[in-house]
Amino acid sequence: MLSLQKLASLSAPLSRRIEFRGRTRAPLPRYLGTPETFAAAAAAANDRRRSVAARANRQLSLSSGMATSFEHSNGVRKGAKAVRDQHMASEGGQDSRLTKIASSIRVIPDFPKPGIMFQDITTLLLNPEAFKDSIDLFVERYREKNISVVAGIEARGFIFGPPIALAIGAKFVPMRKPNKLPGEVISEEYSLEYGTDKMEMHVGAVQPGDRALIVDDLIATGGTLCAAIKLLERVGAEVVECACAIELPELKGRDRLGDKPLFVLISSDI
Amino acid sequence: MRAAENGRDPRLKAISDAIRVVPHFPKPGIMFHDITTLLLDHKAFKDTVDLFVERYRDMGISIVAGIEARGFIFGPSIALGIGAKFIPLRKPGKLPGRVISEPYELEYGTDQLEMHVGAVQPGERTIIIDDLVATGGTLSAAIRLLERFQAEVVECACVVGSPVVQGECELKEKPLFVLVEPHY
Repeated sequence: MLSLQKLASLSAPLSRRIEFRGRTRAPLPRYLGTPETFAAAAAAANDRRRSVAARANRQLSLSSGMATSFEHSNGVRKGAKAVRDQHMASEGGQDSRLTKIASSIRVIPDFPKPGIMFQDITTLLLNPEAFKDSIDLFVERYREKNISVVAGIEARGFIFGPPIALAIGAKFVPMRKPNKLPGEVISEEYSLEYGTDKMEMHVGAVQPGDRALIVDDLIATGGTLCAAIKLLERVGAEVVECACAIELPELKGRDRLGDKPLFVLISSDI
Repeated sequence: MRAAENGRDPRLKAISDAIRVVPHFPKPGIMFHDITTLLLDHKAFKDTVDLFVERYRDMGISIVAGIEARGFIFGPSIALGIGAKFIPLRKPGKLPGRVISEPYELEYGTDQLEMHVGAVQPGERTIIIDDLVATGGTLSAAIRLLERFQAEVVECACVVGSPVVQGECELKEKPLFVLVEPHY
């Protein structure tokens, strides 16, 4: 199991990076505003994360759900808070699983391009207990919901979807980039920041009336999830819910899903 | 070697029957073995994972490495079943952070397979999973990646494949375990 110190070394702590580079870093992540130096930007981001997390804690503690929020002060740049679905009863065991899961996910700055804080779930997969806990949390939610299809979005949805499908007795259907699926497919176009992409699903994989769950590692803008919803609805399936390990709420993907509910394990403000 | 050397495991027929062949994909002459139909058969899919878990659970395997993308469909469930870590081996540019890269031959040209630096420690016992083995090119690249960090590759495991890999890549004499042979 990776210790936090090991995680810190895998994604270089910010303070070390600033000293090593010795220069102003550009371009700055857009959501940090316009401070002049990277050190100031980092400090501002830390302050913002702490205040967001504190505010979220106060709001959530008033509701029927509970949330855990934490930051790492050892340089791993991550200010994720774990959010539980408000309909779930609060249990001590639940909190510790989410804490373990959230602390296993590392953030890689400026990947795949400057300004993006990439949430890397591969470190979660290196922690068998935490990975199992993440699957268990989804399985516990969906096992009594009569889900007949789990649709996983290429490629990281292929990591979470099949274990969930196997545990709840559902089929697994891969939703893929163009020209990967052999045989007859249907296709749905969706927008990227620049241009469009396509998602494909096999004809005949899903039947009218199938109750479907869509799984991916993360929801950002919600574009790929929307495409998946459309593909499933085109063949007459009922999309019961979308499920992701991580949500980036600032990008408002949840709103883009319309009337389809979204369930996430972790909500991250960076 | 093929699964169930002591006599054919009764689960294997349903697994084999659930895999469909799509002719001339991705190009004329290729008989593509499509495992997505196996994934639509819950019992056969579960049996597939169980057969691998039964084989590897007592072999002290600490890492299951899965090859993008169809190795991701089988690998994580096997890893969960045997209590091992899962490591994705990916096409270039997909893994964030520090990676190592290994080239391998395609029919025309080369491609690369990448793995995270720090994912594997020296001496860790590893299996490599993919849906199908043909020439063994990608599996050989995967073996090289893991061995560069002194992991011990115990076996390569695929759902579909000939027990003896044809062609130039012979998986560096690592054992190969397959559940079912290709249908022709």
